[in-house]
Amino acid sequence: MDEDPATAPLPGDGPLDGDPGLQPERTALAWGRTVLTLIAASAMSLRWLPDQGPFVLAMFGLTVAAGTGIYATQRRRYRRSVEGIRAGHLTPDTAAVFWTAGACVVLGALGVWLVLS
Amino acid sequence: MPSTPPPPSGPDSRRSRFAEKLLPGGAEPDPRFTLANERTFLAWIRTSLALLAGGIAVEAFTTDVFPEPIRRGLAVLLLLLGMLLSAGSAVRWLRVEASLRSNRPLPLPLIGPLLAAGCAVAAAVVIAVVVLA
Repeated sequence: MDEDPATAPLPGDGPLDGDPGLQPERTALAWGRTVLTLIAASAMSLRWLPDQGPFVLAMFGLTVAAGTGIYATQRRRYRRSVEGIRAGHLTPDTAAVFWTAGACVVLGALGVWLVLS
Repeated sequence: MPSTPPPPSGPDSRRSRFAEKLLPGGAEPDPRFTLANERTFLAWIRTSLALLAGGIAVEAFTTDVFPEPIRRGLAVLLLLLGMLLSAGSAVRWLRVEASLRSNRPLPLPLIGPLLAAGCAVAAAVVIAVVVLA
């Protein structure tokens, strides 16, 4: 129970994931694609660097930090969904959903501020 | 013989206070549905990120194409649409999760028409400026 979730072995033996629908894998990939899209979207704002200065770098840094946070918790998330499917119940990851949506709203708000400033 | 505990008392059912407040009552749905809802949320988030990227790109890369007020207007429109869609996708995720918990039919996606209308307006502006002008 005290194992570090980041390095602990995945539950069960045999196939990593007992779900024939490969839901944990597809969900982890969906998070991965979202991280890539988030960073790609904010990387475009680097074009503003000559005009707007370090503020753009801060905005880019913010999304890279959010992406790194998601990436760092991928293994925990995968493990959680495998365990959830095995146990037959899984608590929804409310915090991850709201943090991600919040990061996108902040990115948009900073973008609007830069366009209008 | 020890009785097996019901699912809500299992190790994975400790819900945060935040989750308890947002999703009261009902029972945990099939975990596959919860994961499917999460992936659908992420697909909406990527759609909103595409709009945000579009807004940023319009402002950053189209200086030679659009006059300044139109460029800014289009960029702000796309960025606002992306923000609305990001917030809307979290609301949609919550409503679907609540429906799953109480076995109700899934709600209609209000963000669908929003996305369609916003994209139509943005496309109309581009056509009016680039093709007709």
